[in-house]
Amino acid sequence: MHTYDYISDEVLIERFKEGDEHAFDLLVRRYEQKVYQLAYRLTNNPDDAADVAAETFLRMYNSLKRFRGDAQLSTWLYRVVSNVFFDFRKRESRHQHIPLEIQTEDSEEPMELPVEDESVDIMGHALQQEQRRVLMEVIQQLPEYQRVMVVLFHIEERSYEEIAQILGLPLGTIKSRLNRARTALRQLLEPYRELFGVETSPTVGKPQEASDAL
Amino acid sequence: MRCEQVKEFLNAYIEGSVSEALRERIQAHLNACAECRREYRFLQSIWQGLSLMPEVVPPANLHERIMTHVRANVRAREAQQRVAFWRWAGAAAVAAGLFLMGFFVANSDGVQAAFGFGGAKKPVVESPQPVQAGVFIEYRETKDGSRLPVLEARMNREATAELHYVAGAEPSAKPTLIWQGTLLPGKTLEIPLQTLLQSANERVLTLWWSVEGRKRVLFVPVGYPPARIASVRLQAKLSDALRQLASVYQTPIEWVPNGEEPLVVLDAQEASLEEALRQLLVGSEYKLTRQGAAWRVSGH
Ligand SMILES: [Zn+2]
Repeated sequence: MHTYDYISDEVLIERFKEGDEHAFDLLVRRYEQKVYQLAYRLTNNPDDAADVAAETFLRMYNSLKRFRGDAQLSTWLYRVVSNVFFDFRKRESRHQHIPLEIQTEDSEEPMELPVEDESVDIMGHALQQEQRRVLMEVIQQLPEYQRVMVVLFHIEERSYEEIAQILGLPLGTIKSRLNRARTALRQLLEPYRELFGVETSPTVGKPQEASDAL
Repeated sequence: MRCEQVKEFLNAYIEGSVSEALRERIQAHLNACAECRREYRFLQSIWQGLSLMPEVVPPANLHERIMTHVRANVRAREAQQRVAFWRWAGAAAVAAGLFLMGFFVANSDGVQAAFGFGGAKKPVVESPQPVQAGVFIEYRETKDGSRLPVLEARMNREATAELHYVAGAEPSAKPTLIWQGTLLPGKTLEIPLQTLLQSANERVLTLWWSVEGRKRVLFVPVGYPPARIASVRLQAKLSDALRQLASVYQTPIEWVPNGEEPLVVLDAQEASLEEALRQLLVGSEYKLTRQGAAWRVSGH
Protein backbone atom coordinates (compact mmCIF):
# COMPACT_ATOMS: atom_id res chain seq x y z
CA MET A 1 0.00 0.00 0.00
CA HIS A 2 1.58 3.23 -1.11
CA THR A 3 0.87 6.41 0.76
CA TYR A 4 0.73 8.27 -2.51
CA ASP A 5 -1.84 6.09 -4.22
CA TYR A 6 -4.56 8.66 -3.72
CA ILE A 7 -2.63 11.47 -5.39
CA SER A 8 -3.89 11.90 -8.94
CA ASP A 9 -1.63 11.87 -11.99
CA GLU A 10 -2.42 15.54 -12.56
CA VAL A 11 -1.19 16.55 -9.13
CA LEU A 12 1.97 14.47 -9.49
CA ILE A 13 2.64 15.98 -12.91
CA GLU A 14 2.18 19.46 -11.43
CA ARG A 15 4.62 18.67 -8.66
CA PHE A 16 7.12 17.34 -11.13
CA LYS A 17 6.80 20.53 -13.19
CA GLU A 18 7.65 22.43 -10.03
CA GLY A 19 10.86 20.41 -9.71
CA ASP A 20 9.79 17.57 -7.40
CA GLU A 21 11.76 14.57 -8.69
CA HIS A 22 10.04 12.32 -6.21
CA ALA A 23 6.77 12.88 -8.06
CA PHE A 24 8.40 11.49 -11.18
CA ASP A 25 9.56 8.42 -9.30
CA LEU A 26 5.99 7.85 -8.14
CA LEU A 27 4.60 8.20 -11.65
CA VAL A 28 7.11 5.63 -12.87
CA ARG A 29 6.09 3.22 -10.12
CA ARG A 30 2.48 3.73 -11.01
CA TYR A 31 2.87 2.85 -14.68
CA GLU A 32 6.00 0.72 -15.02
CA GLN A 33 4.17 -2.60 -14.90
CA LYS A 34 1.70 -1.57 -17.62
CA VAL A 35 4.43 -0.09 -19.78
CA TYR A 36 6.65 -3.13 -19.36
CA GLN A 37 3.76 -5.46 -20.09
CA LEU A 38 2.93 -3.77 -23.38
CA ALA A 39 6.62 -3.66 -24.31
CA TYR A 40 7.01 -7.33 -23.45
CA ARG A 41 4.04 -8.31 -25.58
CA LEU A 42 5.42 -6.39 -28.51
CA THR A 43 8.97 -7.71 -28.20
CA ASN A 44 8.42 -11.10 -26.53
CA ASN A 45 11.80 -10.63 -24.87
CA PRO A 46 12.37 -9.49 -21.28
CA ASP A 47 15.56 -7.57 -22.00
CA ASP A 48 14.17 -5.66 -24.97
CA ALA A 49 11.00 -4.97 -23.02
CA ALA A 50 12.99 -3.42 -20.17
CA ASP A 51 14.93 -1.30 -22.66
CA VAL A 52 11.73 -0.09 -24.29
CA ALA A 53 10.24 0.68 -20.86
CA ALA A 54 13.32 2.62 -19.76
CA GLU A 55 13.37 4.68 -22.94
CA THR A 56 9.63 5.33 -22.65
CA PHE A 57 10.04 6.85 -19.20
CA LEU A 58 13.02 8.89 -20.35
CA ARG A 59 10.80 10.39 -23.04
CA MET A 60 8.16 10.97 -20.42
CA TYR A 61 10.70 12.79 -18.27
CA ASN A 62 11.74 14.96 -21.17
CA SER A 63 8.24 15.90 -22.27
CA LEU A 64 6.20 15.83 -19.08
CA LYS A 65 6.81 19.55 -18.66
CA ARG A 66 4.93 20.06 -21.89
CA PHE A 67 2.26 17.47 -21.15
CA ARG A 68 -1.06 19.27 -21.51
CA GLY A 69 -3.29 16.63 -20.09
CA ASP A 70 -5.62 16.42 -23.08
CA ALA A 71 -5.17 12.65 -23.02
CA GLN A 72 -4.92 10.22 -20.15
CA LEU A 73 -1.32 9.71 -19.09
CA SER A 74 -1.77 5.97 -19.66
CA THR A 75 -2.96 6.52 -23.23
CA TRP A 76 -0.07 8.85 -23.84
CA LEU A 77 2.41 6.31 -22.39
CA TYR A 78 1.03 3.57 -24.64
CA ARG A 79 1.67 5.87 -27.54
CA VAL A 80 5.26 6.42 -26.47
CA VAL A 81 5.81 2.68 -25.98
CA SER A 82 4.61 2.08 -29.55
CA ASN A 83 6.87 4.80 -30.90
CA VAL A 84 9.91 3.55 -29.00
CA PHE A 85 9.17 0.05 -30.21
CA PHE A 86 9.00 1.24 -33.83
CA ASP A 87 12.24 3.19 -33.39
CA PHE A 88 14.09 0.25 -31.84
CA ARG A 89 12.94 -2.06 -34.61
CA LYS A 90 14.13 0.38 -37.24
CA ARG A 91 17.50 0.62 -35.54
CA GLU A 92 17.70 -3.16 -35.19
CA SER A 93 16.99 -3.81 -38.83
CA ARG A 94 20.05 -1.74 -39.68
CA HIS A 95 22.32 -3.87 -37.46
CA GLN A 96 21.43 -7.41 -38.14
CA HIS A 97 24.95 -8.66 -38.59
CA ILE A 98 25.53 -10.14 -35.15
CA PRO A 99 23.28 -13.02 -34.25
CA LEU A 100 23.27 -12.90 -30.52
CA GLU A 101 21.61 -14.59 -27.65
CA ILE A 102 22.30 -13.45 -24.18
CA GLN A 103 20.87 -14.52 -20.92
CA THR A 104 22.37 -13.52 -17.62
CA GLU A 105 21.40 -15.03 -14.35
CA ASP A 106 19.94 -11.73 -13.21
CA SER A 107 17.58 -11.18 -16.09
CA GLU A 108 14.69 -13.24 -14.98
CA GLU A 109 12.14 -14.37 -17.47
CA PRO A 110 8.90 -12.68 -16.61
CA MET A 111 6.79 -15.13 -14.76
CA GLU A 112 3.19 -15.60 -15.57
CA LEU A 113 0.72 -15.10 -12.81
CA PRO A 114 -1.21 -18.19 -11.90
CA VAL A 115 -4.44 -18.19 -13.82
CA GLU A 116 -7.54 -18.15 -11.72
CA ASP A 117 -9.05 -21.12 -13.38
CA GLU A 118 -11.91 -23.02 -11.82
CA SER A 119 -11.24 -26.17 -13.80
CA VAL A 120 -7.59 -26.81 -13.23
CA ASP A 121 -6.96 -29.98 -15.15
CA ILE A 122 -3.38 -30.62 -16.12
CA MET A 123 -4.08 -31.36 -19.77
CA GLY A 124 -6.15 -28.24 -20.23
CA HIS A 125 -3.51 -26.16 -18.53
CA ALA A 126 -0.73 -27.53 -20.70
CA LEU A 127 -2.84 -26.94 -23.78
CA GLN A 128 -3.51 -23.37 -22.74
CA GLN A 129 0.18 -22.78 -22.09
CA GLU A 130 0.99 -24.11 -25.53
CA GLN A 131 -1.70 -21.94 -27.12
CA ARG A 132 -0.22 -18.89 -25.43
CA ARG A 133 3.28 -19.73 -26.49
CA VAL A 134 2.18 -20.18 -30.10
CA LEU A 135 0.15 -16.97 -30.03
CA MET A 136 3.05 -14.90 -28.71
CA GLU A 137 5.39 -16.46 -31.21
CA VAL A 138 3.09 -15.93 -34.16
CA ILE A 139 2.39 -12.33 -33.16
CA GLN A 140 6.12 -11.70 -33.46
CA GLN A 141 5.91 -12.64 -37.12
CA LEU A 142 3.42 -9.89 -37.89
CA PRO A 143 4.75 -6.62 -39.29
CA GLU A 144 5.23 -4.07 -36.48
CA TYR A 145 2.10 -2.08 -37.17
CA GLN A 146 -0.15 -5.12 -37.25
CA ARG A 147 1.50 -6.43 -34.13
CA VAL A 148 0.70 -3.24 -32.25
CA MET A 149 -2.91 -3.43 -33.43
CA VAL A 150 -3.42 -7.01 -32.32
CA VAL A 151 -1.71 -6.50 -28.96
CA LEU A 152 -3.59 -3.30 -28.13
CA PHE A 153 -6.99 -4.54 -29.24
CA HIS A 154 -7.00 -8.20 -28.35
CA ILE A 155 -4.59 -8.53 -25.45
CA GLU A 156 -4.67 -5.13 -23.79
CA GLU A 157 -8.33 -4.81 -24.78
CA ARG A 158 -8.25 -1.14 -25.67
CA SER A 159 -11.20 0.32 -27.55
CA TYR A 160 -11.00 1.44 -31.19
CA GLU A 161 -11.23 5.03 -29.97
CA GLU A 162 -8.38 4.67 -27.56
CA ILE A 163 -6.18 2.93 -30.12
CA ALA A 164 -6.92 5.75 -32.54
CA GLN A 165 -5.71 8.16 -29.87
CA ILE A 166 -2.66 6.06 -29.02
CA LEU A 167 -1.52 5.76 -32.61
CA GLY A 168 -2.75 9.16 -33.72
CA LEU A 169 -4.75 7.72 -36.60
CA PRO A 170 -8.37 8.12 -37.71
CA LEU A 171 -10.87 5.55 -36.49
CA GLY A 172 -11.49 4.20 -40.00
CA THR A 173 -7.81 3.52 -40.51
CA ILE A 174 -7.63 1.72 -37.19
CA LYS A 175 -10.54 -0.53 -38.13
CA SER A 176 -9.18 -1.45 -41.53
CA ARG A 177 -5.69 -2.03 -40.17
CA LEU A 178 -6.99 -4.18 -37.38
CA ASN A 179 -8.88 -6.25 -39.92
CA ARG A 180 -5.77 -6.78 -41.99
CA ALA A 181 -3.82 -7.67 -38.87
CA ARG A 182 -6.43 -10.20 -37.82
CA THR A 183 -6.52 -11.80 -41.22
CA ALA A 184 -2.73 -12.07 -41.23
CA LEU A 185 -2.67 -13.56 -37.75
CA ARG A 186 -5.38 -16.04 -38.60
CA GLN A 187 -3.41 -17.18 -41.66
CA LEU A 188 -0.27 -17.63 -39.58
CA LEU A 189 -2.22 -19.79 -37.17
CA GLU A 190 -3.60 -22.09 -39.85
CA PRO A 191 -1.07 -24.86 -39.05
CA TYR A 192 -2.17 -24.80 -35.41
CA ARG A 193 -5.89 -25.39 -35.94
CA GLU A 194 -5.97 -28.42 -33.70
CA LEU A 195 -4.33 -26.56 -30.87
CA PHE A 196 -7.28 -24.18 -30.99
CA GLY A 197 -9.80 -26.97 -30.85
CA VAL A 198 -10.64 -27.05 -34.53
CA GLU A 199 -10.15 -30.28 -36.44
CA THR A 200 -8.01 -30.01 -39.54
CA SER A 201 -10.09 -32.08 -41.93
CA PRO A 202 -13.67 -31.04 -42.63
CA THR A 203 -16.21 -33.43 -41.20
CA VAL A 204 -18.07 -35.15 -43.98
CA GLY A 205 -21.64 -36.36 -44.14
CA LYS A 206 -23.43 -33.38 -42.61
CA PRO A 207 -26.63 -33.05 -44.61
CA GLN A 208 -27.01 -29.26 -44.62
CA GLU A 209 -23.46 -28.51 -45.56
CA ALA A 210 -23.83 -26.35 -48.58
CA SER A 211 -21.87 -23.29 -49.48
CA ASP A 212 -24.96 -21.20 -50.01
CA ALA A 213 -27.12 -22.54 -47.23
CA LEU A 214 -29.58 -19.82 -46.29
CA MET B 1 -25.77 -15.72 -47.31
CA ARG B 2 -22.70 -17.08 -48.99
CA CYS B 3 -19.77 -18.44 -46.99
CA GLU B 4 -17.43 -15.66 -48.13
CA GLN B 5 -19.83 -12.99 -46.90
CA VAL B 6 -20.31 -14.79 -43.60
CA LYS B 7 -16.57 -15.12 -43.07
CA GLU B 8 -16.14 -11.46 -43.73
CA PHE B 9 -18.45 -10.63 -40.85
CA LEU B 10 -17.34 -13.33 -38.42
CA ASN B 11 -15.07 -11.09 -36.37
CA ALA B 12 -17.70 -8.40 -36.09
CA TYR B 13 -20.18 -11.13 -35.17
CA ILE B 14 -17.90 -12.41 -32.41
CA GLU B 15 -17.41 -8.86 -31.17
CA GLY B 16 -21.16 -8.32 -31.18
CA SER B 17 -20.94 -5.28 -33.41
CA VAL B 18 -23.29 -6.41 -36.21
CA SER B 19 -26.89 -5.38 -36.59
CA GLU B 20 -29.58 -7.61 -35.17
CA ALA B 21 -30.80 -8.64 -38.63
CA LEU B 22 -27.32 -9.55 -39.81
CA ARG B 23 -26.63 -11.40 -36.59
CA GLU B 24 -29.64 -13.61 -37.16
CA ARG B 25 -28.70 -14.38 -40.74
CA ILE B 26 -25.14 -15.28 -39.73
CA GLN B 27 -26.42 -17.47 -36.92
CA ALA B 28 -28.71 -19.30 -39.29
CA HIS B 29 -25.86 -19.86 -41.70
CA LEU B 30 -23.62 -21.14 -38.92
CA ASN B 31 -26.30 -23.61 -37.85
CA ALA B 32 -26.36 -24.98 -41.34
CA CYS B 33 -22.74 -24.75 -42.49
CA ALA B 34 -20.08 -26.82 -40.73
CA GLU B 35 -17.26 -25.16 -42.64
CA CYS B 36 -18.17 -21.69 -41.40
CA ARG B 37 -18.86 -23.08 -37.96
CA ARG B 38 -15.30 -24.37 -37.81
CA GLU B 39 -13.98 -21.01 -38.90
CA TYR B 40 -16.13 -19.32 -36.28
CA ARG B 41 -14.83 -21.61 -33.54
CA PHE B 42 -11.27 -21.13 -34.71
CA LEU B 43 -11.47 -17.35 -34.63
CA GLN B 44 -13.31 -17.30 -31.34
CA SER B 45 -10.69 -19.53 -29.81
CA ILE B 46 -7.86 -17.28 -31.09
CA TRP B 47 -9.36 -14.04 -29.77
CA GLN B 48 -10.30 -15.65 -26.51
CA GLY B 49 -6.79 -17.01 -26.12
CA LEU B 50 -5.42 -13.51 -26.62
CA SER B 51 -7.80 -11.85 -24.20
CA LEU B 52 -6.96 -14.41 -21.50
CA MET B 53 -3.23 -13.78 -21.63
CA PRO B 54 -2.00 -13.57 -18.05
CA GLU B 55 -0.50 -10.39 -16.65
CA VAL B 56 3.21 -10.03 -17.20
CA VAL B 57 5.30 -9.73 -14.06
CA PRO B 58 8.22 -7.38 -14.65
CA PRO B 59 11.75 -8.26 -13.52
CA ALA B 60 12.56 -7.24 -9.96
CA ASN B 61 15.11 -4.65 -11.03
CA LEU B 62 12.83 -2.91 -13.54
CA HIS B 63 12.35 0.26 -11.51
CA GLU B 64 16.05 0.58 -10.88
CA ARG B 65 16.81 0.00 -14.54
CA ILE B 66 14.34 2.66 -15.65
CA MET B 67 15.56 5.24 -13.15
CA THR B 68 19.22 4.57 -13.99
CA HIS B 69 18.50 5.08 -17.68
CA VAL B 70 16.57 8.29 -17.04
CA ARG B 71 19.13 9.74 -14.63
CA ALA B 72 22.05 8.86 -16.89
CA ASN B 73 20.47 10.57 -19.87
CA VAL B 74 19.24 13.58 -17.99
CA ARG B 75 22.82 14.21 -16.91
CA ALA B 76 24.13 13.61 -20.40
CA ARG B 77 23.97 17.24 -21.36
CA GLU B 78 26.01 18.23 -18.36
CA ALA B 79 28.52 15.49 -19.16
CA GLN B 80 28.77 16.55 -22.77
CA GLN B 81 29.55 20.06 -21.64
CA ARG B 82 32.33 18.64 -19.51
CA VAL B 83 33.70 16.62 -22.40
CA ALA B 84 33.65 19.73 -24.53
CA PHE B 85 35.59 21.50 -21.80
CA TRP B 86 38.29 18.84 -21.55
CA ARG B 87 38.60 18.78 -25.26
CA TRP B 88 39.08 22.50 -25.28
CA ALA B 89 41.45 22.34 -22.28
CA GLY B 90 43.47 19.57 -23.92
CA ALA B 91 43.80 21.47 -27.17
CA ALA B 92 44.59 24.71 -25.36
CA ALA B 93 47.25 23.05 -23.25
CA VAL B 94 48.93 21.52 -26.25
CA ALA B 95 48.82 24.85 -28.07
CA ALA B 96 50.36 26.59 -25.10
CA GLY B 97 52.93 23.86 -24.54
CA LEU B 98 51.51 23.17 -21.13
CA PHE B 99 50.84 19.87 -19.53
CA LEU B 100 47.54 19.05 -18.00
CA MET B 101 49.22 16.76 -15.55
CA GLY B 102 48.67 19.05 -12.62
CA PHE B 103 44.97 18.51 -12.96
CA PHE B 104 45.11 14.83 -12.35
CA VAL B 105 48.40 13.55 -11.23
CA ALA B 106 48.63 12.07 -7.81
CA ASN B 107 52.09 11.56 -6.45
CA SER B 108 52.76 7.86 -6.38
CA ASP B 109 56.36 7.06 -5.77
CA GLY B 110 57.36 3.44 -6.03
CA VAL B 111 54.66 2.74 -8.56
CA GLN B 112 57.18 1.40 -11.05
CA ALA B 113 58.41 -1.28 -8.75
CA ALA B 114 54.93 -2.21 -7.71
CA PHE B 115 53.76 -2.65 -11.26
CA GLY B 116 56.94 -4.10 -12.67
CA PHE B 117 57.82 -1.52 -15.22
CA GLY B 118 61.15 -3.07 -16.13
CA GLY B 119 62.92 -1.74 -13.08
CA ALA B 120 63.78 1.59 -14.68
CA LYS B 121 64.85 3.70 -11.71
CA LYS B 122 65.09 6.84 -13.80
CA PRO B 123 63.53 7.76 -17.08
CA VAL B 124 66.06 7.35 -19.85
CA VAL B 125 65.45 10.32 -22.04
CA GLU B 126 68.34 10.01 -24.51
CA SER B 127 67.67 6.53 -25.84
CA PRO B 128 63.97 5.83 -25.43
CA GLN B 129 63.17 2.34 -24.30
CA PRO B 130 59.92 0.76 -25.43
CA VAL B 131 57.12 2.47 -23.64
CA GLN B 132 55.23 0.32 -21.24
CA ALA B 133 51.89 1.62 -20.20
CA GLY B 134 49.79 0.31 -17.42
CA VAL B 135 46.16 1.23 -17.74
CA PHE B 136 43.75 0.20 -15.08
CA ILE B 137 40.15 0.58 -14.20
CA GLU B 138 39.83 0.80 -10.46
CA TYR B 139 36.68 1.20 -8.47
CA ARG B 140 36.63 3.54 -5.52
CA GLU B 141 34.08 3.09 -2.85
CA THR B 142 32.33 6.30 -1.88
CA LYS B 143 30.86 7.16 1.49
CA ASP B 144 27.37 6.22 0.35
CA GLY B 145 28.60 2.79 -0.70
CA SER B 146 28.51 3.21 -4.47
CA ARG B 147 31.49 2.43 -6.66
CA LEU B 148 33.07 5.02 -8.88
CA PRO B 149 35.27 3.80 -11.71
CA VAL B 150 38.55 5.63 -12.15
CA LEU B 151 40.90 5.16 -15.04
CA GLU B 152 44.50 5.10 -13.95
CA ALA B 153 47.49 5.18 -16.24
CA ARG B 154 51.16 4.86 -15.46
CA MET B 155 54.20 4.82 -17.74
CA ASN B 156 57.75 3.60 -17.42
CA ARG B 157 59.03 6.71 -19.19
CA GLU B 158 57.82 10.00 -20.49
CA ALA B 159 55.32 9.42 -23.27
CA THR B 160 52.50 11.16 -25.02
CA ALA B 161 49.06 9.72 -24.71
CA GLU B 162 45.49 10.35 -25.71
CA LEU B 163 42.20 9.19 -24.35
CA HIS B 164 39.07 9.07 -26.48
CA TYR B 165 35.64 7.79 -25.85
CA VAL B 166 33.27 6.35 -28.36
CA ALA B 167 29.59 6.91 -27.85
CA GLY B 168 27.52 4.00 -29.04
CA ALA B 169 28.51 0.65 -30.41
CA GLU B 170 28.40 1.51 -34.08
CA PRO B 171 31.73 1.11 -35.84
CA SER B 172 31.13 4.42 -37.59
CA ALA B 173 30.79 6.29 -34.29
CA LYS B 174 33.43 9.00 -34.06
CA PRO B 175 35.71 8.97 -31.05
CA THR B 176 35.75 12.10 -28.93
CA LEU B 177 39.05 13.29 -27.50
CA ILE B 178 38.79 13.73 -23.76
CA TRP B 179 42.39 13.91 -22.70
CA GLN B 180 45.68 14.49 -24.41
CA GLY B 181 49.08 15.13 -22.92
CA THR B 182 52.38 13.77 -21.73
CA LEU B 183 52.75 11.28 -18.95
CA LEU B 184 55.73 11.24 -16.64
CA PRO B 185 57.22 8.13 -15.08
CA GLY B 186 56.38 7.52 -11.48
CA LYS B 187 53.24 9.55 -11.76
CA THR B 188 49.72 8.30 -12.07
CA LEU B 189 47.15 9.88 -14.28
CA GLU B 190 43.71 9.48 -12.86
CA ILE B 191 40.54 10.20 -14.75
CA PRO B 192 37.22 9.63 -12.99
CA LEU B 193 34.79 8.07 -15.44
CA GLN B 194 31.60 8.68 -13.56
CA THR B 195 30.38 11.58 -15.66
CA LEU B 196 31.12 9.78 -18.88
CA LEU B 197 29.36 6.65 -17.70
CA GLN B 198 26.29 8.64 -16.86
CA SER B 199 26.18 9.98 -20.38
CA ALA B 200 26.56 6.56 -21.99
CA ASN B 201 23.61 5.35 -23.98
CA GLU B 202 24.88 1.81 -24.10
CA ARG B 203 25.47 -0.60 -21.27
CA VAL B 204 29.16 -0.29 -21.99
CA LEU B 205 31.42 2.70 -22.46
CA THR B 206 34.12 2.28 -25.09
CA LEU B 207 37.37 4.12 -24.38
CA TRP B 208 40.40 4.31 -26.65
CA TRP B 209 43.65 4.78 -24.93
CA SER B 210 46.59 5.41 -27.16
CA VAL B 211 50.21 5.78 -26.10
CA GLU B 212 52.61 7.03 -28.75
CA GLY B 213 50.12 5.91 -31.33
CA ARG B 214 49.71 2.41 -29.90
CA LYS B 215 46.05 1.78 -29.37
CA ARG B 216 44.26 -0.16 -26.71
CA VAL B 217 40.57 -0.33 -26.04
CA LEU B 218 38.74 -0.40 -22.75
CA PHE B 219 35.19 -1.59 -22.43
CA VAL B 220 33.84 -0.21 -19.17
CA PRO B 221 30.40 -1.35 -18.03
CA VAL B 222 27.91 1.28 -17.01
CA GLY B 223 26.06 -0.82 -14.47
CA TYR B 224 26.76 -2.69 -11.31
CA PRO B 225 27.05 -5.28 -9.84
CA PRO B 226 28.95 -7.71 -12.05
CA ALA B 227 27.29 -10.97 -13.01
CA ARG B 228 29.23 -14.06 -11.96
CA ILE B 229 27.64 -16.51 -14.33
CA ALA B 230 25.89 -16.02 -17.63
CA SER B 231 24.95 -17.88 -20.76
CA VAL B 232 26.13 -16.22 -23.93
CA ARG B 233 26.02 -17.30 -27.52
CA LEU B 234 27.53 -15.10 -30.13
CA GLN B 235 29.39 -14.91 -33.36
CA ALA B 236 31.11 -11.61 -33.87
CA LYS B 237 34.30 -9.71 -34.45
CA LEU B 238 36.55 -9.92 -31.41
CA SER B 239 35.96 -6.31 -30.38
CA ASP B 240 32.19 -6.69 -30.60
CA ALA B 241 32.36 -9.90 -28.63
CA LEU B 242 34.44 -8.28 -25.90
CA ARG B 243 32.09 -5.34 -25.67
CA GLN B 244 29.16 -7.72 -25.36
CA LEU B 245 30.88 -9.71 -22.62
CA ALA B 246 31.74 -6.54 -20.69
CA SER B 247 28.06 -5.65 -20.97
CA VAL B 248 26.71 -9.04 -19.96
CA TYR B 249 29.08 -9.54 -17.03
CA GLN B 250 29.23 -5.85 -16.14
CA THR B 251 32.99 -6.21 -15.78
CA PRO B 252 35.59 -4.04 -17.53
CA ILE B 253 37.63 -5.65 -20.29
CA GLU B 254 40.74 -4.19 -21.82
CA TRP B 255 41.71 -5.12 -25.34
CA VAL B 256 45.19 -4.58 -26.75
CA PRO B 257 44.82 -5.26 -30.47
CA ASN B 258 47.68 -6.70 -32.46
CA GLY B 259 46.45 -5.65 -35.86
CA GLU B 260 44.28 -8.61 -36.65
CA GLU B 261 40.80 -9.01 -35.38
CA PRO B 262 39.51 -12.55 -35.66
CA LEU B 263 35.89 -13.56 -35.97
CA VAL B 264 35.03 -15.44 -32.81
CA VAL B 265 32.31 -17.85 -31.87
CA LEU B 266 31.12 -18.43 -28.36
CA ASP B 267 28.61 -20.80 -26.87
CA ALA B 268 29.01 -20.52 -23.13
CA GLN B 269 26.36 -21.98 -20.87
CA GLU B 270 26.38 -20.72 -17.31
CA ALA B 271 29.99 -19.78 -17.58
CA SER B 272 32.10 -17.32 -15.65
CA LEU B 273 33.62 -14.41 -17.54
CA GLU B 274 37.03 -16.08 -17.40
CA GLU B 275 35.65 -19.29 -18.90
CA ALA B 276 33.83 -17.34 -21.61
CA LEU B 277 36.97 -15.36 -22.47
CA ARG B 278 39.14 -18.46 -22.56
CA GLN B 279 36.71 -20.17 -24.89
CA LEU B 280 36.60 -17.05 -27.02
CA LEU B 281 40.36 -16.89 -27.44
CA VAL B 282 41.05 -20.55 -28.21
CA GLY B 283 43.27 -20.73 -31.26
CA SER B 284 43.92 -17.00 -31.43
CA GLU B 285 47.12 -15.11 -30.72
CA TYR B 286 45.54 -13.28 -27.84
CA LYS B 287 46.47 -13.82 -24.21
CA LEU B 288 44.27 -13.36 -21.19
CA THR B 289 45.42 -11.72 -17.97
CA ARG B 290 43.77 -10.03 -15.07
CA GLN B 291 44.44 -6.32 -14.50
CA GLY B 292 42.93 -5.03 -11.28
CA ALA B 293 39.18 -4.99 -11.73
CA ALA B 294 39.50 -5.66 -15.46
CA TRP B 295 40.38 -8.58 -17.67
CA ARG B 296 42.96 -7.89 -20.34
CA VAL B 297 42.95 -9.50 -23.75
CA SER B 298 46.32 -8.74 -25.23
CA GLY B 299 47.78 -9.43 -28.63
CA HIS B 300 51.32 -8.65 -27.50
ZN1 LIG C 1 -20.53 -21.31 -44.80
